[in-house]
Amino acid sequence: MENLTMIAQQTEAIEEMAQQNESSSLLPTQAPRILSGAQALMESLIAEGTEVIFGYPGGAIMPTYDALFDYTDRLDHILVRHEQGAGHAAQGYARTSGKPGVCLVTSGPGGTNLVTPIADAIIDCTPLVCIIGQVKSTLLGTDAFQETDIIGVTTPVCKWNYQITNADEVPAIIAKAFYIAKSGKPGPVVIDFTRDAQVSLMSKSYEYKKVETLTSYKPRVIPKDEHLEKAAQLINNAKKPYILFGQGVLISGAEEELKAFAEKTDIPCASTLLGLSAMPINHPNYVGWLGMHGNYGPNVLTTQADVIIAIGMRFDDRVTGDATKYIRQAKVIHIEIDPAEIDKIIKADAPVVGDVKEALKRLLPLVKPNNHTAWRNEFKKYDIIEDQKITQRELTADGQIKMAEVVNMLSEKTKGEACVIADVGQHQMIAARYYKFKNPRSYIASGGLGTMGFAIPAAFGAKKGAPEREVVAFIGDGCFQMTIQELGTIAQSGLPVKLIILNNNYLGMVRQWQQLFFEKRYSFVELQNPDFVTIAKGFGIAGHTCSERDNLSESLDRLLQSDKPYLLEVMVEKEENVFPMVPAGAAVADIRLD
Amino acid sequence: MTTYTICIFTENTFGLLNKITIIFTRRRINIESLTVSETERKGVSRYTITIKHDKREEVEKLVRQIRKVVEVLAVFGYLDDEIVYNEIALFKVATPIGGKPIDIETINKVYKAWVVYWGLDYVVIEKAGSENEILDFFRYIKSYGILEFVKSGRVAVGKTPTGLVEYLPEEANWEYYV
Repeated sequence: MENLTMIAQQTEAIEEMAQQNESSSLLPTQAPRILSGAQALMESLIAEGTEVIFGYPGGAIMPTYDALFDYTDRLDHILVRHEQGAGHAAQGYARTSGKPGVCLVTSGPGGTNLVTPIADAIIDCTPLVCIIGQVKSTLLGTDAFQETDIIGVTTPVCKWNYQITNADEVPAIIAKAFYIAKSGKPGPVVIDFTRDAQVSLMSKSYEYKKVETLTSYKPRVIPKDEHLEKAAQLINNAKKPYILFGQGVLISGAEEELKAFAEKTDIPCASTLLGLSAMPINHPNYVGWLGMHGNYGPNVLTTQADVIIAIGMRFDDRVTGDATKYIRQAKVIHIEIDPAEIDKIIKADAPVVGDVKEALKRLLPLVKPNNHTAWRNEFKKYDIIEDQKITQRELTADGQIKMAEVVNMLSEKTKGEACVIADVGQHQMIAARYYKFKNPRSYIASGGLGTMGFAIPAAFGAKKGAPEREVVAFIGDGCFQMTIQELGTIAQSGLPVKLIILNNNYLGMVRQWQQLFFEKRYSFVELQNPDFVTIAKGFGIAGHTCSERDNLSESLDRLLQSDKPYLLEVMVEKEENVFPMVPAGAAVADIRLD
Repeated sequence: MTTYTICIFTENTFGLLNKITIIFTRRRINIESLTVSETERKGVSRYTITIKHDKREEVEKLVRQIRKVVEVLAVFGYLDDEIVYNEIALFKVATPIGGKPIDIETINKVYKAWVVYWGLDYVVIEKAGSENEILDFFRYIKSYGILEFVKSGRVAVGKTPTGLVEYLPEEANWEYYV
């Protein structure tokens, strides 16, 4: 509860500001534009092309929300139900639109609630600009009401942060924030905005200049020629070259360049989890996805390749398994914008530091056309085994509905064109396995951090970033309850996102591990769930439950045909396991099919 | 374990020390000594950090991670034979009336240390040198009664013909990745 004197002071300050500002509230173009820090923020966000803010008001950010009130014609604001929702929604928005997502929250708990999405965004390279209110600068360090050292808290998990204590700093710092968030390896930036800096007037006329370069931060975009030549030489002499690509392809918008490169060299391509949809599933050079629950052939055949071309990926431990045994026989070309990723996990014989798009564009003329049909066909042998041992079993209409059937059917009904959001766990892996992606930016999930509760907010954020696309989220019953309150946001904003709960009444992935590695000691993984459909109804979102296979097709039709948000709960097989699986810490060659 | 000296040039902004040190702590690398000062270039700070590590490649990775910090202008990692380095120590030594008098000649000539302050019943002696030289002097002066002892972190310059600020961003030959 805010202290009354404080509110009185705030009101006075706001009134004072309003009086002083009366003449400039319409922002005359010729006269000097003397704005408050909060107004300068609004103008700066607009100058950066911000369309929408995901946020939640509170004491220390109230002057900024007051300024926002005058900008609602140019800045859309989505009021979330918890700041974590604002962060994940901004991530969803950034991942579909390619633009930085903007969050606006208050000090103290507002900021700390945003920490999880910030940590998620740094590890998944998602550009975010998080503006967090702060107590007056004179109160800093006094344990004031809702004061948290958010710079201290966020420093380990953000790309850059800065505390604004003077309104004059606003335009330059916001310009810097956007530049840092979206350039190089994108990531979240945090702006800690003290209340007095929001309220006080700038001492000079507002002017905005976009930042295009910084002295201390110069990500290399154009790779060095000698690096490209060395890489091309390795590729041209390779017998079994193999491309492993990641989200870097999507971030740099290099989907066409990747296709052209793969087609000319005829090299098989596999995707990481976050790289999914950068190449259409039906592309002849695409062989599947990598990692702990990735496809059989793509994982196993990393042991046979003689040249690995890693493109915009970082050899996460979920991809490499035991990294000391990963691709030891191969020469490695690593195309990556972040130099710190080179040699971090896997030693690169030919590092290419630069933007993926620029690198592939420049590599294309250096590589010779080739034919690797025999090598590519080896993947097919493994596909057949995987299909017989896993896919057919999971898609057989027998017993309870399986997660795979739901994803597979939705994939068919949406012709692989939907934007799929996945939460974290078994359903996330199944969504990645069975959805047949056709277009880029179609698989959005929390990869590096594995943040349960990601999907509901990310779904409406994604929809906001790509309103023309069908956005469908697959969510586990555990995950759903982590951000269930965001149903309120969906209802209020009216964004027609489609939510599918794959309900097995278990924390399925943990249960699977307990079954396989902890002697079936099911320690706190069974859930007593609420009636999700009734809850959704309570929020004003229509939905229904499907527990019979016979109703599944019609259920999905109802979900897809709705022009409003819709919740479909599908009761699925309780103790289903996700395979293939590379056990944690094992080599990828030790992948299990059952 | 090998000693590495890491020289970091940064913009002189708020809170940067924390941004630098958490890169070490997250990887459980202990900072043996740390010195921060302004450089010959205005607005540019220089950090000299020494660590002990047994894997060179891990130190190289650490250097790259430090480079990622937005305000960091350049980072250099050195082995001891690649730098000229020193530390400075102050010894507050008791000189009570009737006690054993300190031997100024030995202090000056053998240990290259100087009395920088004469108190009524104590002196403050300044000794600059390597860790070992300071330790030697510490052993020598101990018997006189050390009231206080304080030592700075290492400062170091590279044994290169040019100054390190030459490598800062304006220069064409400074690169984000080498």
